[in-house]
Amino acid sequence: MGGYGDVQMLDENGLRMDGRKPADLRPISIETGVVPVADGSASIRWGTNHVVAAVYGPMECHPRKIQRQDRAVLDVRYNMAPFSTTDRMRPGFNRRSREVSKVTADALESVVLLEMYPRCKVRVEIEILCAEAGTRCVGLTAASVALAHAGIPMTDMVVSVASGKIHDVVVCDLNKEEDNYGEADLPMGILPNSGELVFLQMDGDLSPDEFKQAWDYNMEAATAIHEIMVEALKGGDS
Amino acid sequence: MAIPLVPKLLRAHLAALAENDERHDGRSRWEARDTELEIGVLPRAEGSAKVRIGNTIVYAGVKFQVMTPYPDRPNQGGLMCSAEVRPVAGPNWEPGPPSPESIELGRVVDRGIRESGCIDVDDLCIIPGEKVWQVILDLFAISDDGNLFDAFALAGVAAMRTAVIPEKRFEIGAEDRPLNISKTPIMCSYQKVGGRFVYDADGKEELGGDERIHITLGDDGHVHSLQKGLRGIFTEDEFAEIMEQAQSRCKDLREMVNKAEEAG
Repeated sequence: MGGYGDVQMLDENGLRMDGRKPADLRPISIETGVVPVADGSASIRWGTNHVVAAVYGPMECHPRKIQRQDRAVLDVRYNMAPFSTTDRMRPGFNRRSREVSKVTADALESVVLLEMYPRCKVRVEIEILCAEAGTRCVGLTAASVALAHAGIPMTDMVVSVASGKIHDVVVCDLNKEEDNYGEADLPMGILPNSGELVFLQMDGDLSPDEFKQAWDYNMEAATAIHEIMVEALKGGDS
Repeated sequence: MAIPLVPKLLRAHLAALAENDERHDGRSRWEARDTELEIGVLPRAEGSAKVRIGNTIVYAGVKFQVMTPYPDRPNQGGLMCSAEVRPVAGPNWEPGPPSPESIELGRVVDRGIRESGCIDVDDLCIIPGEKVWQVILDLFAISDDGNLFDAFALAGVAAMRTAVIPEKRFEIGAEDRPLNISKTPIMCSYQKVGGRFVYDADGKEELGGDERIHITLGDDGHVHSLQKGLRGIFTEDEFAEIMEQAQSRCKDLREMVNKAEEAG
């Protein structure tokens, strides 16, 4: 959340740099079956984000020491491809990708019916091929679609989206410039059928009113994104 | 990569098919799977391509960095080529540091491109002895159903041919300029399945096959890299046969790259 210096984030009509109104999402399209060798997969193009998620399993759990007698283990990896960012990303895990992997696993473990597969493992692989802003949200959403595509039982799919603040105006779904120069970021993981949450982070500076507005934007956006997810699963081949 | 159990039944099945000169998916011996090439697919990369060969899908992305030249070559830029096959690409690929298999992949593709001389390394000099461009070619698989080598090599050279040096962003020049690629090295890979070599082995044929041979040829038909991998013995005649096949297949694939670049 750096200062915005000379960058003009909103024009005189209250429109954002990419022409969106504060509540608008970037264009989103979802495709299933993009990794033919996986048990389930999905890709999401969200703005210029391009994310692929693949699911393998339920399968035998290796190494044995992480096996659970009463439920399956969810093995989630979030990774950014080396060419996904403006400056090349060195391959391998870093602290950020480990944290994102963990919070994504925590969110998905809350909805996947792990008790149905004791002593098994389900692998969820999230690969960021092109990053704009909000890759953790896109990754979590893609993973939900991939899990559904793999036929893994869940109570609901997780829809993840972030709202934030630029120039003291709360806006939905920050793009790259807004994320770089904005003043706050509130990513959430929402269960669209119940309105419950399984993922929540925030950084920056929001007044209670601004926080409420950002929260409401995310809730509204989740309903719209959920429709695109369901459509993708209906239309997708196996 | 986890070592899968060698499925004896699969080996026997492939060998039985080979006796009638057949393959398990109905292809003839030198026939490739359906192959698609797309360029300019990754907006954050300075050059990019996606290749699909059957159910094998890979991406290649080119990035640039400024580096200090090697003391013995003060006027020359550098090339780095690395391949990553992460667990997303299949049930047998595991997380962790690069496996010997993925290192071999990156190095064989690297040699084909480097040794063809397609990159004008002197053109990558910024300040002699101080600053040169390093071209970084990253190969990234998202679905492995066999023959990652050819998929990576094709995506790699196509991404390089479309790459643009970001001189403006690095405040080195007023305008970005295309990376000068004078040749199009192409790799063809053959694997021994059921006792004879076949072109473009898929995942099942890799699992139930023996040694593989990778050949990279340049525009003029010159050989730029060779690699024999896995356990197995082959004869001079066998090699001569696949070399002849590679000569004609490489021309077709080079035409595919030319067409993709013209269209893109």
